[in-house]
Amino acid sequence: MESVKDLLIILIGSSLVSNVVLSQFLGLCPFLGVSRKIKTAAGMGTAVIFVITLASAVAGVIYKFVLQPFHIEYLQTIVFILVIAALVQFVEMFLRKAMPALYEALGVYLPLITTNCAVLGVALTNVQKEYGILTGIVNGFATALGFTIAIVILAGLREKMEYNDVPEVFRGMPMVLLTAGLMAIAFCGFSGLL
Amino acid sequence: MNKKSSFSTAWERLSNGLIKENPTFVLMLGMCPTLAVTTSAMNGLGMGLTTTVVLMLSNLIISLLRGIIPNRVRIPAFIVIIASFVTAVQLLLEAYIPSLNEALGMYIPLIVVNCIILGRAESYAYSNPPIPSLFDGIGMGLGFAFALTCIGAVRELLGAGTVFDYPIMPDSYTPINIFILAPGAFFVLAALTAFQNYLKITRERVGKEARHIGSGCSEDCMNCADSGCTKRFYDTTGGKQSDIEVIDMEKEEK
Amino acid sequence: MSITGIVTAAAVVSAVGIFVGLFLGAAGIRFKVEVDEKEEAVLAALPGNNCGGCGFAGCSGLAAAIAKGEAPVNACPVGGEAVGKKIAEIMGVNAESSERQVAYVHCQGDCEKAGTDYEYHGAEDCRMLSFVPNGGPKSCNSGCLGYGTCVKVCPFDAIHVVKGVAVVDKEKCKACGKCIAVCPKHLISLIPYSTKQIVACSSTDKGPVTMKACQVGCIGCGICAKVCPKEAVTVENFHATIDSAKCVGCGACEQKCPKKAIVRA
Repeated sequence: MESVKDLLIILIGSSLVSNVVLSQFLGLCPFLGVSRKIKTAAGMGTAVIFVITLASAVAGVIYKFVLQPFHIEYLQTIVFILVIAALVQFVEMFLRKAMPALYEALGVYLPLITTNCAVLGVALTNVQKEYGILTGIVNGFATALGFTIAIVILAGLREKMEYNDVPEVFRGMPMVLLTAGLMAIAFCGFSGLL
Repeated sequence: MNKKSSFSTAWERLSNGLIKENPTFVLMLGMCPTLAVTTSAMNGLGMGLTTTVVLMLSNLIISLLRGIIPNRVRIPAFIVIIASFVTAVQLLLEAYIPSLNEALGMYIPLIVVNCIILGRAESYAYSNPPIPSLFDGIGMGLGFAFALTCIGAVRELLGAGTVFDYPIMPDSYTPINIFILAPGAFFVLAALTAFQNYLKITRERVGKEARHIGSGCSEDCMNCADSGCTKRFYDTTGGKQSDIEVIDMEKEEK
Repeated sequence: MSITGIVTAAAVVSAVGIFVGLFLGAAGIRFKVEVDEKEEAVLAALPGNNCGGCGFAGCSGLAAAIAKGEAPVNACPVGGEAVGKKIAEIMGVNAESSERQVAYVHCQGDCEKAGTDYEYHGAEDCRMLSFVPNGGPKSCNSGCLGYGTCVKVCPFDAIHVVKGVAVVDKEKCKACGKCIAVCPKHLISLIPYSTKQIVACSSTDKGPVTMKACQVGCIGCGICAKVCPKEAVTVENFHATIDSAKCVGCGACEQKCPKKAIVRA
């Protein structure tokens, strides 16, 4: 069992120092695609936090109680991805029926999260770093938090940049990538935190 | 099916994946591994070839099973098949090429969620016979590998002065470390996309058909990141008309 | 090669797969939402490129609104008449053949006719100009700034800046409303396609002020209101407005306007 201090270190480490998008390059597609407006970015971020925290919990449980006892840890990729896909499907169904308001806000992003590298990446990282279930959940939450921070910042920058006169060749994706690169440099500064 | 036509289809699939519809340069799919593993040309090549193997096998099997897989569960079925091959390849790499496994790390299992593999399965392998699917997989995979190697070579050259660990830059060259790190990947990809835009714009200016370059159009204008898109101005049928018809319409207008 | 390993692996994965399948099936039944068939049919009839021109959140948003009766059946600007008719059939109503509307920019103060107070060099976006003195370099506070923010948002290439003012191409305009929403001076409004005469000015400044700022600005003299045989013109706040319901297109106001502020639409 990790102490609270260790959990706090993981929280800061996974969200800022090795930010999932700007350091580990996971979850790029939604990061570049859904970051045009702050509102949609915040919606996407919230959906991601929700899904990844749940997914790391479920993946942790399955690893501990199904894969390890049978010594088939090597099947983690297959089992995790199956479970994650099912989980997202279930969350979508549940939200649609039980919380329609939340579904209106987040529902559109949920299918995008299924093939998001970040979800599978977090589950695999938890296994690789040999985290327990609770630590895994904290790590998952922190990772998703980092994703939300990054995507909201990028959306803010893009909204501001909408007024700017960008050279024709750089309009669109190149500009966004350059901005992301500069953000990545900025986030490198966090490495001194821990 | 006479031998000549199947050979030419195979060749056509190969060249399509390598040049015409190169997954990285033209379709802009699979960005996550592109940015993550191209820290050196060797890593890029290794990842590209690994993906090629998985793509090849999964395309083949999915094409063989296309009669059996029901439409409603096709995506989960694809994912399970692809995940199985990825696990197999991962274990093989762990055993026989541990250095590559170390270098690529977590990104090997992440081949499962690589848009290229799922995309090819969905758009080609599910509706075409096995041999063309196999060559489509090989073509796309080799195109991807080529792209990754190029990007990796550029990053390694600028960031460490070497290519494939062979020193190229003169001793007076101070390596620009940032290209090996995360931000460098974004910058190189930005330059690449800008170059593509440049090609698209010059082609359109001359009047040639340029829509296929770097579109990755999801026909979802509301969530699209491309503000330089010309399609939404003229294609008012919401993309339901095929590209060919739209081109003819433009020719008639002229 | 131990067979037990292979069998265990296959068994566990199959078990997980079967469990997931059953779980989702059960959840699908337990959480079943009554889907409106009409909504699905309407969604299928819409073009599907989620351009947002209807003002709803994508095609699914519009389909939901139409199914609930909150949106007219011909609300899709991209699909136009054809799609409107199809949806009307699905919903079982008569397609209200509402009059086609187009956007119109109520300003004709271009480079030659309107004056400028100062030279401006900066961000070329009409919205940004709300931060500069007097809301922009143009002498008239209610005039079109001509930096083309409306041009950038139009998905149908229907509006362009000609000699410093924005002009709408009536044939291409689909009345999606994006230019109207984005114009910071609120100069653009929807008018019926068949409008004959329109006041091409939005200035509510007093006469002498308007005359100094622009050669073709409305000074609120009221001559148009006096000569109109149908009493379709009202003058308020030194600004004339034509009621298109009453206007028959006789052109008297256009002829008599001393500043030539009323034009053919």
